[in-house]
Amino acid sequence: MPDTLRHYLFIAVPLLVVLAVLPSVYNNHLLLFNFVIFFILAQGVNIIYGFTGYLPFGYVGFFGAGAYGFALMVMHLNSPAPVAVLAGGLVAVVLGLILTPLLRLAGAYFSIANLAAALAVLHLIANPALESITKGPYGVALNGTFNPTWAYAGAVLILALTLGIVVYLKNSSFGLALQAVREDSFSASMSGVNVVKMRTIAWLASALVAGLAGGVFAWYVSVFYPDNVFSADFSIFAIVFALFGGVATICGPLIGVIILYGIYNLIGFTTPQYFQLIYGLLIMGLVLFLPAGLVSLATRRGWNVP
Amino acid sequence: MLYPLIAGVLFGLYFSLVGIGLNLVFGVMRIVNLAHGDFLMLGAFVAFGVYTAAGLDPLVGVPIAFALFCVAGLLLYWILVPRLQRARDPEMLSFILFFGFSQVIEALTTIVFGTSERSIPSRELANSLSGVRAAIFGGEATNGPFQIFGLSFPASWVVAATVSVIAIGCVYLYLYRTRLGTLTRAVMSRREEAIATGINVDRVSAAAFGIGLGLAAVAGVFAPFMFGSFTPAFGIDATVTSFVVVVLGSLGNPLGTALGGVVYGVSYMLVQTYLSSWADLLPYVLLIAILLLRPSGLLGRRVRVA
Amino acid sequence: MSPDNVPILRVNDLLKRFGGFHALDGLTFHVSSGEILGLVGPNGSGKTTAINVISGLYAPDRGEVLFDGTSVGGMASHKLVHRGINRTFQVPKPFMSLTVRQNLEVARTYGRAGASGPSMSDLLEEYRLADVADRPAHDLTNVQQKMLDLVRALATQPRLLLLDELAAGLNPTELDWIAERIKALAKGGLAIIVVEHLMGFIEQITDRVIVMNAGKEIFEGTLAVAVKVPEVIEVFLGGEHAA
Repeated sequence: MPDTLRHYLFIAVPLLVVLAVLPSVYNNHLLLFNFVIFFILAQGVNIIYGFTGYLPFGYVGFFGAGAYGFALMVMHLNSPAPVAVLAGGLVAVVLGLILTPLLRLAGAYFSIANLAAALAVLHLIANPALESITKGPYGVALNGTFNPTWAYAGAVLILALTLGIVVYLKNSSFGLALQAVREDSFSASMSGVNVVKMRTIAWLASALVAGLAGGVFAWYVSVFYPDNVFSADFSIFAIVFALFGGVATICGPLIGVIILYGIYNLIGFTTPQYFQLIYGLLIMGLVLFLPAGLVSLATRRGWNVP
Repeated sequence: MLYPLIAGVLFGLYFSLVGIGLNLVFGVMRIVNLAHGDFLMLGAFVAFGVYTAAGLDPLVGVPIAFALFCVAGLLLYWILVPRLQRARDPEMLSFILFFGFSQVIEALTTIVFGTSERSIPSRELANSLSGVRAAIFGGEATNGPFQIFGLSFPASWVVAATVSVIAIGCVYLYLYRTRLGTLTRAVMSRREEAIATGINVDRVSAAAFGIGLGLAAVAGVFAPFMFGSFTPAFGIDATVTSFVVVVLGSLGNPLGTALGGVVYGVSYMLVQTYLSSWADLLPYVLLIAILLLRPSGLLGRRVRVA
Repeated sequence: MSPDNVPILRVNDLLKRFGGFHALDGLTFHVSSGEILGLVGPNGSGKTTAINVISGLYAPDRGEVLFDGTSVGGMASHKLVHRGINRTFQVPKPFMSLTVRQNLEVARTYGRAGASGPSMSDLLEEYRLADVADRPAHDLTNVQQKMLDLVRALATQPRLLLLDELAAGLNPTELDWIAERIKALAKGGLAIIVVEHLMGFIEQITDRVIVMNAGKEIFEGTLAVAVKVPEVIEVFLGGEHAA
């Protein structure tokens, strides 16, 4: 059996099945939904950071753009929810295309420019001058499409797609070429790799899944403000979860979400600053002691972690 | 037109002070200190403490904040940096590390002080000097607005701008008139060669880090007056703003920051005056545009570009 | 094949400026399939810049790079690789966290399409990397990383190979060994340009040398003749000539 299939069957499928079954035995559906969203976002960060080395501090920009893509389709075109979710993904891809020049920037410059881009999109959408289109800072309320059950199913479907992308990257020469670009872009081009095209594709794939996640999030919650869907917490959490588990693997980001988002919910939303303290310390500890994430505990011993 | 220009210059000088510490640290260590804004925020708390707890002029906070955070910077340097430098990609890892650190600072500050907005009455700043002011400029010993070209500006703006000029002057003296400063410039312009010639880079870097944090905290003392109020969450915005100022004036060239600050201050005030609903977008759009179009800043050498 | 074939690479009047400094200033030369051409000259004479322009890192400010009859100056590196140009680096930059095998897999997959050559295991065996094939590149010694860089270039099936100080850091036994390998590659029809400071090594492998100074050619011919030309001696005076 080829690795691609094996990885999908033994990692992705069990996770998806568990997520599909859980709502019927566990009552806190919002929590389950948020888990799915963070699985998608952490893997989205994995696609762009793990495989190409660009750390997207403004990753939430795609998520928010997707959410507003959904909202605009529903508000102005009365579009059915699934179509609006796809439109959300498309909006994120378009935003990704506009931001493609940022990939010319290296390291920290890219990250900060990306953060600035996300904030620019937020301030654009939240601008009172655009109230007639986006409802500005007053937020949107989409009553017609409210259907948490289907929205949850949609989220699981998007996760299935996202995992498919990651499994492909992990096992294909395309994914290998991306990692080569991450390690040294000139050596990669001297291996015949079209560096600009490759990283643009990864960037847009990463934008797509975040945009779809944003769309399905808008579908699920139906009422939200710009500050909700552009909250820096989405970027931060997704990055921390992915880093914590270990990027450029399939399992790493999933493990990261399960452990850290699990802890987050145990500590509770009432005292977010304690969680902030813990994850801040976790990031510092990771960088100083375990820069390749939890999975490196295993890979260091010579175990192969997919 | 004259009012926004003068206000822009006053704010701009202050913005130079906001950014200069970030640039000094970057210039010497090639590290983007993502916790920079959080040290500003802590500086604001120093001013608040001096005023509310001790009942003193917040200006007294300037030397206190500088000394306190200089020492903190030195300690932090010796704890964190040696470990980082053994890593394979110290630039990116330090970026993530300081991001974690920024989260820790924000969380701890929130836990200790809560999330409420704090402010200090504007007239309290430098009120201990109003006697001096009366002696120089005549008039009564009050702390009312300043008259410049017949327009009146809050005294706190003028005080902040003045202290900023003095502080930047001190940085200039340090870099060009002291031995350690000369070594610092050597490390900034040719790091590898400086190491090869046996300059104690650790000592130079530790000093730059201490001074950088000290300057950030000094800028923070004026933050309550320049931005109206502050919260523990104010750090990240301050970091982005600092980055804009620094990139405008050229990364790695601390004195270029003065120009960057003034350009930013003036354009900020002009947009605020004539296009106020779009003013929030300015720093982000400016940052992205500068990074893409002129990555070396308005005056300056090359930035590493992928 | 003999060196007097139709040249596969022609470089005409190449100019490359960095600020006001002319790194290349009217460089003209050619190399044919099966030929090993040495580029020699003091530090800063423009040898590495020439390689960087030919391999697409920089676009020339003036002049022409003709590869197999087509003008390729300023073309993106990966396209040059697909046409059959490749190079090694003075300081090798393999994909550090990938294994040796994965490093080569990238080059084989994305290199010149349709070309067939030695298998990956033959290459690994031939360049003494078989034992470390499944280790990440950052575990390799400096010499092994150089060999990996060379094999990476070979795995793309080049027709023109640019070697930038491949010999530096090798011990005498390794030098003899790699000299034989390079000669064998040329016998197989590869055009090779060697930039090198070790004159003994240059003498051992090249058919012809170009001596460069200040971005242009000051001599062309065999090294044996070159070392008797006063202008060449002056350029190297007290320099690497002794080596």
